[in-house]
Amino acid sequence: MSEPRAVTAAAGPRRWGYLAEFDSVDALLAAVEKVRDAGLVRFDAYAPFPVHGLDESMGLRTSRLPLVVLGGGIAGAAAALVMQWWMNAFDYRYIISGKPFFGLPVAIPITFELTILLAAVGGFLGLWVANRLPELYHPVFASARFRARATTDSFFVAVQADDPKFDAAGTRLLLEVAGARQVEEVEDE
Amino acid sequence: MMSQVSGPVSEQRRLGAMGERLWRGAALAGVVALGVSLGVAAATPDGWRRFFFAYLLAFAYVLSLALGSLYFVLLHHLTNSGWSVVVRRIAELFAGTLPFLGVLGLPLVFAAGELYPWARAGFVGAPGKAAYLNVPFFAARWVVYLAVWGALGGLYLRRSSAQDVSGDASLSVTMRRWSAPAMIAFALTLSFAAFDLLMSLDPGWYSTIFGVYYFAGAAVGVYALLPLVAFLLQRAGFIRRSVSVEHYHDLGKLLFGFVVFWAYIAFSQYMLQWYANLPEETHWFVVRQQHGWGWVGLALVFGHFLIPFAALLSRAPKRRPRFLAAVAAWMLVMHWVDLYWLVMPAASPATPALHVVDLTVLAGLVCLLVAAAAFLARGRALLPEGDPRLAESLAFENA
Amino acid sequence: MSAQPFLPDNTVEAPGKRAPLVLGGNDFASVTEKVCGIVERPRPPRAWYVAFAISSALTALLVAVVGYLFLAGIGVWGLNIPVGWGFDITTFVFWVGIGHAGTLISAILFLFRQKWRTGINRFAEAMTIFAVMCAGMFPAIHTGRPWFDYWLFPYPNQMYVWPNFRSPLLWDVFAVSTYFTVSLMFWYTGMIPDLATLRDRATTRVRKIAYGVLSLGWRGSGRHWHRYERVYLLLAALATPLVLSVHSVVSFDFAVAQLPGWHSTIFPPYFVAGAIFSGFAMVITLLVPVRAFFGLKDLVTTRHLDNMAKITLATGLMVAYAYGVEFFMAWYSGNPFERFALANRALGPYAWAFWIMIGCNVVAPQAFWFKKARTTPWMLVGVSVLINIGMWFERFVIIVSSLSRDYLPSSWGYYKPTWVELCTLAGSFGLFMTLFLLFLRFGPMIAMAEVKSVMPAAGLERGPHHGHGQYWGEIPHQHDPQKGDARP
Repeated sequence: MSEPRAVTAAAGPRRWGYLAEFDSVDALLAAVEKVRDAGLVRFDAYAPFPVHGLDESMGLRTSRLPLVVLGGGIAGAAAALVMQWWMNAFDYRYIISGKPFFGLPVAIPITFELTILLAAVGGFLGLWVANRLPELYHPVFASARFRARATTDSFFVAVQADDPKFDAAGTRLLLEVAGARQVEEVEDE
Repeated sequence: MMSQVSGPVSEQRRLGAMGERLWRGAALAGVVALGVSLGVAAATPDGWRRFFFAYLLAFAYVLSLALGSLYFVLLHHLTNSGWSVVVRRIAELFAGTLPFLGVLGLPLVFAAGELYPWARAGFVGAPGKAAYLNVPFFAARWVVYLAVWGALGGLYLRRSSAQDVSGDASLSVTMRRWSAPAMIAFALTLSFAAFDLLMSLDPGWYSTIFGVYYFAGAAVGVYALLPLVAFLLQRAGFIRRSVSVEHYHDLGKLLFGFVVFWAYIAFSQYMLQWYANLPEETHWFVVRQQHGWGWVGLALVFGHFLIPFAALLSRAPKRRPRFLAAVAAWMLVMHWVDLYWLVMPAASPATPALHVVDLTVLAGLVCLLVAAAAFLARGRALLPEGDPRLAESLAFENA
Repeated sequence: MSAQPFLPDNTVEAPGKRAPLVLGGNDFASVTEKVCGIVERPRPPRAWYVAFAISSALTALLVAVVGYLFLAGIGVWGLNIPVGWGFDITTFVFWVGIGHAGTLISAILFLFRQKWRTGINRFAEAMTIFAVMCAGMFPAIHTGRPWFDYWLFPYPNQMYVWPNFRSPLLWDVFAVSTYFTVSLMFWYTGMIPDLATLRDRATTRVRKIAYGVLSLGWRGSGRHWHRYERVYLLLAALATPLVLSVHSVVSFDFAVAQLPGWHSTIFPPYFVAGAIFSGFAMVITLLVPVRAFFGLKDLVTTRHLDNMAKITLATGLMVAYAYGVEFFMAWYSGNPFERFALANRALGPYAWAFWIMIGCNVVAPQAFWFKKARTTPWMLVGVSVLINIGMWFERFVIIVSSLSRDYLPSSWGYYKPTWVELCTLAGSFGLFMTLFLLFLRFGPMIAMAEVKSVMPAAGLERGPHHGHGQYWGEIPHQHDPQKGDARP
């Protein structure tokens, strides 16, 4: 249990960390705060639904994804305006129904749609890039308890063994004291 | 949290002596400003004509704030809202001024001949409309609108104040039950008031969206008015514990939303008439694009839409009450510019320049509006203390 | 189905209290069990097969008549000058409108914190996707030579021409395709946690692989949820103006023209209100039987239906307002053509369609003023079906009655659809229902993760988690002393 990590790393399956199961939202939040306050950083919480206040309990920084969305929106607006001007008022000019080659009022609808489209695509793709998904394999899936209940009705906290403050006995104790129903050791292949 | 706020009141919730000073001072200032306006009107050539237009403009402005407030109160009950309880009284006070505004609105009937071409003898510019556009019918409609608004504004303020004392939850049920028919009456009277008051300044022009346009401005008005008034009250030491950053945040979101809604409605009206290019419609915009009026329109595009859009887009600015109050004050100015752009080209198509009487009448009516609201606040709490949802509102938090 | 537990009435909300949104003593596990159980049963109920047989037969009919259209040309439709748009564009606008309820429920009600949306949003979003697919088909097939439809897009080509961006028809291409794309992303993003639940419960290899790939390896990580919630909010904030814009752009197709009856500035908000009106009516029409059939009355409660009926009534009144303003303004304009167009609508050759529209869209929804009608399933469905009929006729009235009698009496005409158009309309319902039944069979029809997040055990009612955001400095910040401030 308490052997140094360097030794286990050499042989077969490597300890990835601990996975502790909790029964309720309140227990999860309390445990996460204990883990955070213990100075651990390579940890994660798992819940079947977005838990209100979990991000603060975990001490997560506000995501910068809104900037990606904003960038997408600006790019979309600029692209739409340039495209409409260039195609209708520069590259291929023709008079139709007495309208100017390029008029801002008629350019607004497509500009709006492309603004929304690129902003939304930016947010959508940004989300999966930032979350590093798809990732079909992950060590926590090795746990049968996790597979059975993590997306249904149970709450988990995982602490990774490569955390600088990870301590095989101490971390297990921390999780147990925090009220874990059980603490499981998870291996990476 | 909950016990802390629903326990003994530990904040100033009544205006008290300051309210007395406020209403007397504002009323005096309003009367003086109107007196000055009358003097200016009498002293300048063509001054009376400009005075009446300035009065119409200022009245349409304060009316839109009061109607916006009525809309806020009705919507609050209609949707069974929780978060907005703590700011509802402010809206109720402004909606409660509607009976008084009704009195202020009567001069417009007598000035119809000055303001509206169709009210002048021998007008032939809008054939076939005389059945609607005539002074007696105009006056009768006007009385109906003012009666409906006055009744609703007064009723909701009285019911809610009664609940402060009794805490009777059944009052909430009654107010809610009446909110749906009241909203229908509100929508119809507001639309037709907009047609009568503003659209018929140019009797040849028509736009089916015009009622919605005036409503959008009124909604921007109230969602700017509430954070500004709440901020000023808090700065003066009132309701400091009840109205929190969370409430400002929500008001800011709604202000942002209705700034966009206004832009959507304004764009729809402009683009559709621009595109179809029918002379009987476009002349209205042509007047508003010539002789410097185009700059006012451009100022609206930036000041009424793009600047507040950028200012309120992200989360943080909406959670800074001081900043939000500044944006709200800016929007109240721009809302006035919007009405100026609607009204004044009818009076002075040749130049958008301000006339001094525009500002003095505006100051007069705004002061009287504030005085009326402060007068109504006497003996009332600044938030509906007896509302069963008050605790929910106090504990409210943006997820 | 028959073994529904006793469910309390949650449509009454005493002031100061909030009624529960999930009834019947459900916990997190039973929500999962209930929703996944529908997808996991070895074979669907017999009624599903019957419905699927009918709808796929109609879809086959659609393929047949569209194939015939392609071979024979647009002449097989009843369209001719002056009526160049008939069933095709009517049905297009109808389906786009139906597609509005989903995004409204998902995005706008989300922004307004209407927690009851969680019971119905997935269902409505799925409906949106399928309705927009049906809608998109009609402009594509009505062009005459649909194999050149790709000319609509601005791509560099050897003809050295670009599309005309000043045409509202091109705006439609952008609006509808953007709407479809964004709705799809929104729907899929919302569904990923539920797909992960289905993956974790899957027993067969095919299901394990299918749901495993579709759920992208979602594991409910708090770090993921954090970004997920942020992006979901942003997508909702983007989808809200988008949903307004789409039907506005559709309305521009008509309103930019000079044709009396089409050119009206209130069209954009009026079309949006009508779209939400019809969309909600469609959600009610489908949801009432589905919730009864799959035993979901404790997750999609009477309160949900009551609320939807109220929104239907509210939007119906907005539509009635727009009808009224149009008539008033046509008279007020003093323009003889405007006056004629509206009088012709109510009294001319298409008066029958107009009065069907008024009866279904203005009169019928008034039943929803009564709670009895808002909470009795058959009444809800009855009124909603009438509204759907009425909203189809609304578009028919606007398009056909205006086109059939414009400025020049010598070119007036009367449009009658052919059997091909009738079959295409019926077939589009078949396509919609087929897709919908497949979704009911293979997808999570209720957003489990979202429903769980509004249940009492999710802790939303705990009260403020961090300081209450007081602004004025002299009030001490209320902190839980054990927690401290989490944000740096």
